[in-house]
Amino acid sequence: MEGEKRMSYEVEGVERKEMGKAVGVGVSACDMVMRVLAFMLTLVAAIVISADKQTKVVPIQLSDSLPPFYLPLTAKWHQMSAVLYFLVTNAIACTYAALSLVLALVNRGKSKGLWTVITVLDAFMVALLFSGNGAAAAVGVLGYKGNSHVNWKRVCNVFEKFCDQMAASIGVSLIGSLAFLLLVIIPVLRLHPRT
Amino acid sequence: MSSTDKPGDTEHRPTSSTPAHAPAGVDYFKFDVILRFLLFAASLVSVVVIVTGNETKFLRPAKFRYSPAFVYFVAALSVAGLYSIITTLASLYAIKNPALKAKLLLYFILLDVLILGIIASATGTAGGVAYVGLKGNKHVNWNKICNVYDKFCKHVGASVAVALFGSIVTVVLIWLSAYSLHSRVPK
Repeated sequence: MEGEKRMSYEVEGVERKEMGKAVGVGVSACDMVMRVLAFMLTLVAAIVISADKQTKVVPIQLSDSLPPFYLPLTAKWHQMSAVLYFLVTNAIACTYAALSLVLALVNRGKSKGLWTVITVLDAFMVALLFSGNGAAAAVGVLGYKGNSHVNWKRVCNVFEKFCDQMAASIGVSLIGSLAFLLLVIIPVLRLHPRT
Repeated sequence: MSSTDKPGDTEHRPTSSTPAHAPAGVDYFKFDVILRFLLFAASLVSVVVIVTGNETKFLRPAKFRYSPAFVYFVAALSVAGLYSIITTLASLYAIKNPALKAKLLLYFILLDVLILGIIASATGTAGGVAYVGLKGNKHVNWNKICNVYDKFCKHVGASVAVALFGSIVTVVLIWLSAYSLHSRVPK
């Protein structure tokens, strides 16, 4: 593939059309892999976060003289707006990755207009996913550390499993957003020798 | 200015040797400069607004540096501001020097996507914390603070809104660069 490309450079001008075809096919093969990767990672992140639920019986001591009474507390993902936003962005990115995979398969790098639209939407997904990750991570850090200035207590010492699952989901989603980032960058890098 | 450059522009580039397959390419570098300046203005405004939002109520101050999320926000927006100054200058230089344009467009896309990731994550981070501050969360017993620190909250909200605008500008910049780069590539 690489050699074929280089060879057609040497006969520049004559085999220009051939070269375009070869590079186009290469782009879509790499593109497909990244798209499938992005789809799977965002899907996994969405499933992991939506399955995130923990119920824990917490002893509450009202005063020293009385014995503590036990209260079951539940942590669920939809209690936190930032996590809800995170789930929605992952779901949108997942749907978009599947749709664009189908579009790219049908198109096979033929239409230039579609390529531009897909690049813009990829960049948009990068923004969406990164903001969702940022929001969820910020709330996660608040859960781990708390904030003494405004008296927000940390909750991750109680809901350990919940917090770990959330952190795992954010990590997977971060890799997924990096896949989207590469989806924008790789075709541009492929264009490099041609401009 | 760049419209008078255009005829000379096509001679510099080697790809335009076959005009049938290689169009001269659209030239949006003026828009590019304007958008990059907008990005600079947006990041400057949002950093200034959040830094000046300090407020003291009942002897308890609220400052942006009390929350790691806002510190990250300020750092990220400062990086974006610096980046936009540099790329505005580079873009202006490319208008004077059209031979550089194709190469510059490429680097612009690569770096713009990274900066987009940084700005968008900073906006999300600050927005997530600001929302908890605005509404509170009764499930984990985090009380809302915006009923006390209203000036601080207004500054944070305005700053996040401006940063959101900045990330939209960055998406448009990527689109512009991708479109003009792709119009230069032969079919």
